[in-house]
Amino acid sequence: MDDISVLIVDDEYDFVNTLLKRLNRKGLDCKGVFSGQSALEKFRERIFDVVLLDMKLADKDGNEVLKEIKKMSPDTQVIILSGYASARAGREGLGCGAFDYLLKPVEFETLIEKINTAFDERKNPARSGAGKNH
Amino acid sequence: MYTATIEKEALEPRSRSAYYTRQKLIFILVMVLVSVVPLIGISFFSFQYYKNSSIEKTSVELASLTDSRKEIIELFLADQNNYLGDLMNLYPPEYLSDQANLERLFYATNRSGVITDLGVIDQNGTHRAYVGPYRQQLSDKNYAQVDWFSGVMQNGNYTSDIFSGFRGVPHFVVAVANPEKTLILRATVDSDMFNSLLARAEVGQDGDAFILNKKGEAQTPSRRDNLETPFAMEDVSKGTSVYQTEEYIYTATSMNNGTWVLVLKENINNSLTEFYSARNKAVILIVLAIVLITTVASVITSSIINRIRLADQQRTELTNRMRKVEKMALVGRLAAGVSHEINNPLQIIDNQAGWIEELLEDEKQGKQVDSEEYVEAVKKIRTHVKRAKSITHGLLGFSRTAETQRSKTDISKLLDETVSFLENEAANNQIIIEKKLQGSMPATITEPAQLQQVFINIISNAMDAIGSHGSITVATKMSGKNRIIAEFSDTGPGLKEDVQKKIFNPFFTTKDSKNTGLGLSISYNIIQRLGGDIEAKNGELGGSIFTVILPVVGEEAVKNSEETR
Repeated sequence: MDDISVLIVDDEYDFVNTLLKRLNRKGLDCKGVFSGQSALEKFRERIFDVVLLDMKLADKDGNEVLKEIKKMSPDTQVIILSGYASARAGREGLGCGAFDYLLKPVEFETLIEKINTAFDERKNPARSGAGKNH
Repeated sequence: MYTATIEKEALEPRSRSAYYTRQKLIFILVMVLVSVVPLIGISFFSFQYYKNSSIEKTSVELASLTDSRKEIIELFLADQNNYLGDLMNLYPPEYLSDQANLERLFYATNRSGVITDLGVIDQNGTHRAYVGPYRQQLSDKNYAQVDWFSGVMQNGNYTSDIFSGFRGVPHFVVAVANPEKTLILRATVDSDMFNSLLARAEVGQDGDAFILNKKGEAQTPSRRDNLETPFAMEDVSKGTSVYQTEEYIYTATSMNNGTWVLVLKENINNSLTEFYSARNKAVILIVLAIVLITTVASVITSSIINRIRLADQQRTELTNRMRKVEKMALVGRLAAGVSHEINNPLQIIDNQAGWIEELLEDEKQGKQVDSEEYVEAVKKIRTHVKRAKSITHGLLGFSRTAETQRSKTDISKLLDETVSFLENEAANNQIIIEKKLQGSMPATITEPAQLQQVFINIISNAMDAIGSHGSITVATKMSGKNRIIAEFSDTGPGLKEDVQKKIFNPFFTTKDSKNTGLGLSISYNIIQRLGGDIEAKNGELGGSIFTVILPVVGEEAVKNSEETR
């Protein structure tokens, strides 16, 4: 697991904080933000390999943030995390270039696996979107 | 209200049955009345008309009969006068005064036999000659003081009233004087001939015909021994007059120079025999017609009412089915929002548990672990379990919508909870739900689950109206001490005039075909049942405003209403 940089974007403070601790322990280079705006600001500072993005943010629609990120860094893989079980939202997210759409609660192991797959995808897009077939 | 009726229909099948029976009776009654009243009215007026013309006809016939009888009697009287006048003209007084001559003349001319006797009297009232059966009794009689004598001396001729005298037979006197008034010819006429003449008058069974003098005394006998008349003798003139009492028609005419009155009388009922027989037949026909009309009205009405009942039943079934569909749609809508609300805390709880697991693993491996991490993680687990609990419990309340449990409810709190279900979906559509809820609001006894359904309906509608990007303001306030107002205003396009009128009608929808159009209709029914009211209007700054007005119901009121139930 070589230094995968991950940005967690979610307005659930407790979720972001604990996830940060756990992912960092796993050797990932993680940062967390609580709003769409700060996510974009953070992205302007540096590029992340993988973004865990909540669909429902207090200030912005997750899809908007997704589009902005993809604009800034098309290689960055965005994994949408949402508690909102809506096929429509998922389709939209995938349509905007998200790597995958995961419904909360997601098990930690699954998340790690998904991050790794996404990272592999970023490094070697030729192997092509394993996650896109969900 | 139409919508309220549907609700009632579904709830009270027994009273519906009574309702249909009542409607049926009203229908039949109206149909029968509409047909029978004119029928009876026309019949009644026809009967009256024919009865009156029948009476009129009888009167005319009776009057004409009277005229003919009068003519005959007057002819007869004139005949007697002429007979005496002729004798007086043809023969000199000396000839007539001779007993033998008089006898010869009498037997030669009195072939009809109506004259009983004939007398010749001089100007002093003394008999000069007499032919007849009462010679002995009358030959010495002096007539100077008798009515007819003075009458004939005055007028030249005289006809007396009919009297029986000592002969015991009704008769009357006809007397004629010569122009010099020196001699009088006097004849006694048998009045039996009048009787038979009048008896032959074709008056009905209960009818009568008689002659009265000016004093009202009978000149001929009455067939019914009843000489009463509804008019005074002096009122009767030469022409024939008709009088009518309840029982009889009278015709009267004066005759014999106004000294006698001929009266004919006919029983009205007898004259109406024909009319009554026709009327009875008509009445039977009318009764048959009424029976027929009633039967036809009953059959038609039964068929119509049955159709209506069937249509109502189908409509009620449809409404119930649609209500279920509407509820399922609502549940689906909520499920999405609720799942998000629960999935988030679940995610955190899972994360915290995983974190503790990792820390324990560290400890196992002998690493130093900050015990505060445990405390914090456990605290967070509890916090988010509580968060999830509040949602599942709130949902539990909503899932009980089928039950109508009443409980003391704080409307502001209920609304706050309801908004939390929908906030998520609203946020997804960039709709902000602003709450202006009054804190210190009296609790009212109501059905919170039902109310929640109403609130969800209204807010969902507002969200649909807005689409995306807008805001909904939910406010509660008191109106006086007894009314709670919950107001929902949105920044949507507002309600068109025709929409505003129909918005609470069942199946009315401005949305696509996926909507049943029952949401607000059901809401209306619920609020009505809870004793409140619901209104829809447009806001002054655009958008629509739904206002729910609820009464503040205390425990006392509930007790009272239960007792009266």
